[in-house]
Amino acid sequence: MLELESINHLALIGSLMQQMCVYLVIAYLLSKTPLFAPLMQVTVRLPDKLVCYVVFSAFCVMGTYLGFQIEGAIANTRAIGAVLGGLLGGPLVGLAVGLTGGLHRYSLGGFTASACAVSTTLEGLLGGCLNLYLLRRHRADRLLSPAIAFGTTLFSEIAQMIIILAMARPYEQAGRLVAHIALPMIVNNSVGAALFMRLILDRRETLEKYSVAFSAKALRIAERSVGVLMRGFNEKNCRAMASIIQEETGVGAVAITDCEKLLGFVGVGADHHLPGTPISSPHTFYAIAHNEVVYADGVEISYSCGVSRDCKLGSCLVIPLRGEGNRVFGTIKLYEPKRKFFSSLNRTLGEGIARLLSNQVLAGTIDEQKQLLAQSEIKLLQAQINPHFLFNALNTLAAVIRRDPEAARQIVHYLSTFFRKSLKRVGDEATLKDEIEHVDAYLRIELARFAGRLDVELAVADDLLHLRLPAFSLQPIVENAIKYGISQMIEPGKITISARREQDVLTIVVEDTAGLYKPLPDGDGLGMNLVDRRIKIRYGAAYGISVSCEPEQWTRVAIRLPAEEELVPC
Amino acid sequence: MLTALIIDDETPSREELRALLAEAPDVEVVAECANAIEGLSAIHRLRPDVVFLDIQMPRVSGLEMVTMIEPSALPHIVFVTAYDQHALQAFEEHAADYLLKPIDPQRLARTLDWLRSGARPAGQAFPGADTALQQIPCIARNRIFLIPLHEVEYVNTDLSGVQVVGCSRQGVTDLTLKILQERTPLIRCHRQYLVNLEQIAEIELLENGAAEIVTHSGKRVPVSRRHLREIKDKLLIA
Repeated sequence: MLELESINHLALIGSLMQQMCVYLVIAYLLSKTPLFAPLMQVTVRLPDKLVCYVVFSAFCVMGTYLGFQIEGAIANTRAIGAVLGGLLGGPLVGLAVGLTGGLHRYSLGGFTASACAVSTTLEGLLGGCLNLYLLRRHRADRLLSPAIAFGTTLFSEIAQMIIILAMARPYEQAGRLVAHIALPMIVNNSVGAALFMRLILDRRETLEKYSVAFSAKALRIAERSVGVLMRGFNEKNCRAMASIIQEETGVGAVAITDCEKLLGFVGVGADHHLPGTPISSPHTFYAIAHNEVVYADGVEISYSCGVSRDCKLGSCLVIPLRGEGNRVFGTIKLYEPKRKFFSSLNRTLGEGIARLLSNQVLAGTIDEQKQLLAQSEIKLLQAQINPHFLFNALNTLAAVIRRDPEAARQIVHYLSTFFRKSLKRVGDEATLKDEIEHVDAYLRIELARFAGRLDVELAVADDLLHLRLPAFSLQPIVENAIKYGISQMIEPGKITISARREQDVLTIVVEDTAGLYKPLPDGDGLGMNLVDRRIKIRYGAAYGISVSCEPEQWTRVAIRLPAEEELVPC
Repeated sequence: MLTALIIDDETPSREELRALLAEAPDVEVVAECANAIEGLSAIHRLRPDVVFLDIQMPRVSGLEMVTMIEPSALPHIVFVTAYDQHALQAFEEHAADYLLKPIDPQRLARTLDWLRSGARPAGQAFPGADTALQQIPCIARNRIFLIPLHEVEYVNTDLSGVQVVGCSRQGVTDLTLKILQERTPLIRCHRQYLVNLEQIAEIELLENGAAEIVTHSGKRVPVSRRHLREIKDKLLIA
């Protein structure tokens, strides 16, 4: 225990400052923990308030223990905890923190025990009231201001001195005590509170800056890489992707691999990490085999390039790319060179990028599958032509040869035109002219077959013939009109094919006079369904096929398409 | 001499078959029909020895048509089809005779040989013979049409043939009452009448023990004493 006479003010200020430093170091360390997160804003939620109470009560108690005993009194930094607890947690938290700190002080005894207990409680309450006041005035931002913390603590320490004078007995001793400790305590507590608040603010700003920078980086990568891998997971696209990622993250090098070989490499060491070469790194094999992120930081887990001994790369983060069913289909690797002092490899960002890439590839796969499906459906349409039509046509031909060889020769000609047009369509695109010619050849044969029972009207204006549409869009519809319409009529029937253009929409209508259309669940009109699906996949749900029917009168099938001009080669 | 009937909706098809049959001196084509309904009528009228029957025809297919022929009038049926895998499979199962279009003359000759030799059994079984009819083919005023079964109120025989009476139209059919009774849910209510139970609005009991059915559209159908009980049973009237 110190004797009052043996100390001077400056020495006491110095000592208190030392203990304040210890106090702040502890606060700083604590600020790195999640416990600190609720303290970085003005707390509203109950669990946050609870954390606030516990932390600042602990600081209160610590302030007391770190203090100097002076003739039964304690010179301390208890006020910081109480005031900040009130400021950040509100009146109730402030009161509770003050009370806790105060009762703890009281339990230690001494002639200022009760005065200190009362004043600490009041200090907490004061912080709390200021919190309430500023919130009511919508000035919550000022709660975190070090100046406010400084002022409040200054004021409350002065108040504490007055309370000690008023309550502690004997009065002379209290007077002497206050005369010695007032200035050191007021200065230290106020400065300490301000510094503490500054600490909180700093921590908060750092976090904000970090997350802003982080999300900006992620967003920029996402923005620049839209659709790159959707066009295919190959060397060209992977190289483009890798260079975007390298530019945005600033890492030494970026590689993208599939499960066997390197697809794209950009950055340091690109001279010997060549796309197309097989994977050599054990880390990559491990990441693929175990579907796990591997971080060879070059310290705990060493990284050495398997290709060249002179490779400057010293650390590597390998993240698996996962496709359908969480299966690994490749990896993305971020590298840093050995010479680089501070690594900017970041696991979270790396995983985010991996997810972005995976989704793009997945979307690309789905797209590709759609295309494949559409292609195979054309093949199906082509294959569908075969049996019925072919044998009936040949049978008709057999009869016509007997009666009228010249007419038979024409049928053979139409038949060959029809098959040639059916088989020749390599691409997916046709003009209305192609489609009409195809259908015309088809109908000529059917006209011979149904001799007298079928009438055909083709009413398509010449200026529409150059419009584009998916190949095989028209013939299956006309075939349906024959198969489920005309051929089911006992009396003669007629098929009318017309087309019109309204702004950007081309509508082709195939009408028969049978009126026998019945939507069947499992696709009588397999061909028609395929045509509809294909148009919808390509142009969207607003287009496609619609059917209307007046029973026993007519069936109208309308094909709705965007009016696309034929590409004119320049 | 074999009398033959050709039923096919495609003119060139009929022409071709007739030309092929013309090469056989002992085959006489007695008629050609362009649809199953005319064909049915021709079979009953002309009683040919053999019918060359196309499968794919408007409204009533060849397969459906065979099941409408009065068994006593059933000629030998040779199905003709261009391409119909399902039907071919059924023919194999039922040992029915069939020809593929375009018709191979040698194959046709073999069929004719069988017919001449009488090696083929007379009573043929056909796929689909036990399925219920959904519509009744009719002719009226030179028009052929089909009355869906649910529209039919009653069927009766008179001098002009078998009359099918629906709520809004009626016509003469070539199906016999016996076939209709077997192949449809129509109920015999009189020696000359079949009635559709679903079309009965009321039954008036007469003093002599007989009765009269009034249909939903107000038509009257006689019920003989013999058949009254059965109808009551069906309608769950004690």
